[in-house]
Parts: sequence; structure tokens; C-alpha cells
Amino acid sequence: MIIASRSSTAGVSLRFQAAEAALLSDLADQVDSMLLLGSPDDPALARLLPNAYPDDAEAQRDYARYTRSSLIESKRAAAQQVRDATAPVGERVSTRSDASAAVIPDGDADAADADVVVELDESDAWVWLTFLTDLRLILNERVGAIEESTPEQDQRDDYLSAAYDWAGYLQGSMLEVLDPTDK
Amino acid sequence: MTRTLVEPDLDSITIESLASAWNTVVWDDPVNLMTYVSYVFRSYFGYSADEAERLMLQVHNDGRAIVASGYREAMERHVQAMHGYGLQATIDRGTP
Repeated sequence: MIIASRSSTAGVSLRFQAAEAALLSDLADQVDSMLLLGSPDDPALARLLPNAYPDDAEAQRDYARYTRSSLIESKRAAAQQVRDATAPVGERVSTRSDASAAVIPDGDADAADADVVVELDESDAWVWLTFLTDLRLILNERVGAIEESTPEQDQRDDYLSAAYDWAGYLQGSMLEVLDPTDK
Repeated sequence: MTRTLVEPDLDSITIESLASAWNTVVWDDPVNLMTYVSYVFRSYFGYSADEAERLMLQVHNDGRAIVASGYREAMERHVQAMHGYGLQATIDRGTP
């Protein structure tokens, strides 16, 4: 269960169960790897780096040449920021002093099981919102990508679908806090 | 006194003003939350809540909406920003 609430600053405060935080960190790490190593033919990568000139191949080549590396760089930086803020205790790296994840001690529970609270100011919140969008674009492309239906494949699709819904729920919860007038 | 060597080229002026008519088009993508799309329009373009909502609904209902028009370079910057936000955006030659 994720809880999004108004932060003391203009941003948003997120509380995750340890397992949820670990899952998000792992997904963010995979997104980062995909952006670094992904094949240009990967349809999921194409979703993240769309064609700006569908009817003009030459203009598209120029557009890609000038924008691709900076888009990949900013998307990787977003994935890394989310990965680091939600990494399991011991692996966590605080990359920003104003958006550091803090572990809330929970009675006698081991620190590893404690909820993870992430405080985001408005600009960090944008980093998270855009990462969650990229993550959902990738997951949406991956579900059902392999047509052959085997128990393993169905299980994989169930997992990807659950992660997709969960990321949407997280993003929606954040937006309700950040943009309440939109309701 | 210097002589003007080149007459003003009226054709190229016309072409120049036509060249400014480019559009940033955002396309519907069922993956993106409607609240997210309108929040992007408001935050990035500085549209009012009502205008951002109107454009978001146009994307949702019509499949696409022109969210900005102007010089090509500016439209490329907008499209790059939209791609940064994970929205599907293209550049169109506008109808003058």
C-alpha cells in the first residue's frame, strides 16, 4: 500500500512498504539498463524516443541526432534517482540532500522491513512522474510481447501487468496531491 | 553612401513567414493518465487549468491536438520536451 501525502514543502511525501520500495528500485534499475544497452529496434525504446517527423525521414534523422542522447541521459538520470531513493537499506545511495529517503524505524521490526518514506519537492516529483510514465510505456510494450502462451509466459505477463497498474496507481496518487485542483 | 547591392527578396520574405507556421502535435496514448497529460500542459506551456484540460480532452477524444504553433526551432524544443515527459509528439507544417 502506497501512501502519498502533502509534504511539508510544496512537493509530495511517499510511503512504501519495504517490498514495494525494493520492487520499484529493481524496476528503475532495469529501465536504466534498458536505456543504456537497449537495441535501437526495441519497440519499447521507440515508445520512449518517438519519431518527431513521421513523414520526413531526413528531418527525423536530424532531430534524433540532436536530441537522442540528451533525452536518454535525462531519462536515465530519472531512473537512477528513483532507484537510489528506494534501494534496500545498505545499498541506498543518497544522491540529493533535499530528496533523501529516510527509513522510519518501526518498533522492533528489522530496519530492512521498515517502511520507506521519500520526500520529494516539486522538481523531484517531476523526475518521478516522468520516470513512472516511461516505466509504464515500457511495461505496456512488454506485456504480451511474446505470443507463445506458456505457464511461465502467462506468469510473466501477470507480473508485468501488476507492475503497470501499480505504477499507474502511484503516479495517480502523486498527481492527486500535486494537482488537487484537477479533480 | 553605400549602394544596396541586393534588392529585398520579397519571395524569400514570404517563404520566411510561411516557415514560421509549424505545429507541435500531441497524440493520444492510452498509457498516459489524463491527469498527467493536463498537468504537463499546464506546467510546461503555462496554460491555465481550463485550457490544459481542454487540450488534454482534445487529445483524448480526437486522438491528437495542436498544443503550440510557431517557428520550427521552437516547435522542436517543445517536441523534445514532450518526449522527455513521455508524451507522443510530432512536428507538423501548419496551415497558414
